[in-house]
Amino acid sequence: MNRTSVPALALLAVVALVAPSGAASKGPAAGKTVHIGVIADVTGGAGVYGTPQKNAYELANEDIKSGKLDAGGASLTFDVQDAASDGAQVVNLMQKFMTDGSTPLVLGPTLSGEAFKAFPIAARANFPVMGTSTTAEGVTAMGPSVYRDSLAESQVIPTTVKRTHDKWHYKSAAVIYGDDNAFTKTDGDIFTRELKAAGVDVVDTETFHIKDTDFQPALTRIESKHPDVIAIGALFPEATKIIQQAGKLGIKAHMIGGNGLNAPDMYSVAGPSAQGTVVGAAWYSGAKYPSNLDFVKSYTAKYGKGPDQFAAQSYAAAQIVAYLVAHGATTKDEMLSGLHNVRVIQTVLGPIGFDPNRDVKSSPVILSIVKDGFTYFH
Amino acid sequence: MVAQQLLNGLFLGAVYALFAVGYTLVFGVLDILNLAHAAIFTASAFAAFSLAAAGVPLPLAFLGAAAVGGVLGVLLDRAAFAPLRRRNAGTLVPLISSIGVAIIIGAVLRGIYGVDERHFVTGALDTAQAIHLGPVTFTTVELTIFVAAVALMVGLSWVLRATTLGRRIRAVAQDRIAAALLGVDLERTIAATFFIASSLGGAAGVLTGLEYNSVTLDMGSPIELKGLAIIILGGMGSVTGAVIGGFIIGAVETLAIALGLSEWRDAITFGVMFVILVARPSGLFGKRALRQA
Amino acid sequence: MNALAEFYARHSQLIDQIGINAILALSLSVSLQAGQLALAQAAFMGIAAYVTAILTLTYHWPIVATILVAVIVATLVGAALAYPVRRLRGVFLAIATIGFGEIVRVIANNLGITGGAEGMSGLPQDANTATIYAALAIVALLLFSLSRTKFALAVALVREDEHAAAGVGVDVGTVRTLSLALGGAIAGLAGALYAHSSAFITPTDFGFERMEQILVWCVIGGVTSPLGAVLGAMFLSVLPELIRFLADYREITNGIILLLVIVFAPGGLASLWRRGPVRVRV
Repeated sequence: MNRTSVPALALLAVVALVAPSGAASKGPAAGKTVHIGVIADVTGGAGVYGTPQKNAYELANEDIKSGKLDAGGASLTFDVQDAASDGAQVVNLMQKFMTDGSTPLVLGPTLSGEAFKAFPIAARANFPVMGTSTTAEGVTAMGPSVYRDSLAESQVIPTTVKRTHDKWHYKSAAVIYGDDNAFTKTDGDIFTRELKAAGVDVVDTETFHIKDTDFQPALTRIESKHPDVIAIGALFPEATKIIQQAGKLGIKAHMIGGNGLNAPDMYSVAGPSAQGTVVGAAWYSGAKYPSNLDFVKSYTAKYGKGPDQFAAQSYAAAQIVAYLVAHGATTKDEMLSGLHNVRVIQTVLGPIGFDPNRDVKSSPVILSIVKDGFTYFH
Repeated sequence: MVAQQLLNGLFLGAVYALFAVGYTLVFGVLDILNLAHAAIFTASAFAAFSLAAAGVPLPLAFLGAAAVGGVLGVLLDRAAFAPLRRRNAGTLVPLISSIGVAIIIGAVLRGIYGVDERHFVTGALDTAQAIHLGPVTFTTVELTIFVAAVALMVGLSWVLRATTLGRRIRAVAQDRIAAALLGVDLERTIAATFFIASSLGGAAGVLTGLEYNSVTLDMGSPIELKGLAIIILGGMGSVTGAVIGGFIIGAVETLAIALGLSEWRDAITFGVMFVILVARPSGLFGKRALRQA
Repeated sequence: MNALAEFYARHSQLIDQIGINAILALSLSVSLQAGQLALAQAAFMGIAAYVTAILTLTYHWPIVATILVAVIVATLVGAALAYPVRRLRGVFLAIATIGFGEIVRVIANNLGITGGAEGMSGLPQDANTATIYAALAIVALLLFSLSRTKFALAVALVREDEHAAAGVGVDVGTVRTLSLALGGAIAGLAGALYAHSSAFITPTDFGFERMEQILVWCVIGGVTSPLGAVLGAMFLSVLPELIRFLADYREITNGIILLLVIVFAPGGLASLWRRGPVRVRV
């Protein structure tokens, strides 16, 4: 490890609290080339999540060139490689990046299950990796070189349950979740636990499989138990159909959900029945952080569609890396000590840092769909 | 709730059945499993989306997209099956070439449409048109879909029974060599079979897209394996068997959830299939039912 | 030597995957040689992988013992599966065994001991390349010595014509049961090695997609040729990494290559240098 850089990075980390980001500066890594590996499922079953991630890094590459994203004058690029939603390819890519001699840090993969396969390899070599969408419990526990900038469901759902319960004082709830995916299964478990802890009677639990399209049998069964609230542990494609079909069946219960429901076109896809749905999430597309408004604007201009949370968390990771590079980190050891010493960085997710378990330190936002878009839930 | 669940199962089963009759038709005629059927299902749904987005009225977009599916089916046969038929490559090898075509179709769709879910212009499919009839609720869209699926299956049955083309198809299914000796143009009949089978699969894709107002790259993947289960359950090449198999699988899935066993749904579905096959090793409708269709 | 060591350091994961995939392909090739389109390899693999993982993580058994037990369990499951499907042939057998695989996957998804959809993480990754390739060599040797026995002759007879085989005194039921059990054993070995080389297993690792993959390897390699099966597994495991430079065109190229290989060499890669019919009736 480069001993001399550690105090320097620590000092700069504190300075960053007051230093505005923006115009390109000349940092200690000015003129150097830094190549960051990114593993994303651009094709295959998880392509719908990996593609916005790829988009975000390509936007970041442009923003670094134009100086909008400050890498301290270094030539920083994100090399996005497609893992095709295949665990074997994820592992191969991790090894490729770790051994190519020019990659000091890897971002991704897209899914927690893939992270559980690839991160142990990185952890054994003390190679820095950061997940941007791997929300399952135990991801960062794989080793001291494993970070993530995505809020775990366990950090989001308790607040969602508390805030909605404080407002609606509901007595009963049903939970519906995908039981063949680590993310949605965790969602279902935490919702059930938190609802019970809040004294809510969980009258029914239904499961589905990822890529299901027909939820009417499960919703019909839920409706027969008349719950006040339906908690949805799902990702966007399934969540929109659940909400839409609940509307069709005339179900009036309040809908609540987690990160998986946080996509800008929730309303336009799910339709009028999405009205009033409450979503606990790591990011709000309308948040007034300076870099966020800019990010949403330029992403929309480039791709003809607003960014979702997958894109936002990836762009935030790019901002974190740019910040580390701007402060002189170009090798794997410098990245590690840089990440270790980060206090607070301004990102599209708001000001974030890492806790001692290397999980992201930030607070969830609770959003509600009013008219045709998200606003803060009060 | 029971009535609503029965209705849910019926709607689900209708689309399964429509998907499966196309699947089984190719199977009955050529003895091959066409694993690109689900990819054509998806491609047609995207074609309908594009047509509707270009302002074509929905019924016309539906027919146009089904025709796109039919043409893709003919192309599929030329690319993946015809060369192997000439080389007499057996029945397992074409299964793999159809997987190759399915990958290509998926990659092309991704290139054209990207990964985002597409939906038909709302207005046309307003969820507000729900009909409450006694204990059940359904939408005009669901009703239309059900009627369209049943009409197509009845139409197919008529074509197979009462037309010259149908007789040719059945002759080829029964004995390819004898049919050729009797003057049936094999390649043309096979092409017609692929057109019909794939346009039905495509129609099922459009109806699925309309029913959930959602067209996605992987919308074919849940129905692929179920479709396979349905046609085997129904009996090799039996159109009647595929229809009944479709409704059985739709009903079993719905029933599993209605009984509160949603997490065991697929195990129950495949368990039922397994037990029926063990009891009737050639499926419900025997080995060669298409001959008598 | 240095270059070789460096090559290994950069590709050891892929090399290990190829070894395990080759064992899986051999396992299906055993069934196909007996003319049985029994597609339960992914399920056998999964059962063995879970047995291995549970014995390793919960009971801290040594690696060799976990592999042995897992192989025995998979063998027994294969033999037991032969009974209910004894009257099924061709695609009926295929879909029934795929159905069996789906049932196994759903059970793994619902049990507490398997960790459900969250899978089992923190596996020790203690099967190295030498272990995997030693296992592959043992399987190859076993199949090679079997190919010189009367059993192989009986298998070939059953494949070509069951009635004729029965006519000359071959016990078709026993041949079918043994070939399923042997396929189970080999797939089980692959599953146990998978659990010892991957850090994490989850039910979707052993679903229909995996089964489809194994079948594609075998057919691309040459349906009834064990060597072909190994070649097919190697070729298709390396292909996605070989054409990585194609970036956005990788997926479509993958499909085109698959289609071209099968259309121009319907007998599989093995038929490219070996003349004669390489067909199986299913």
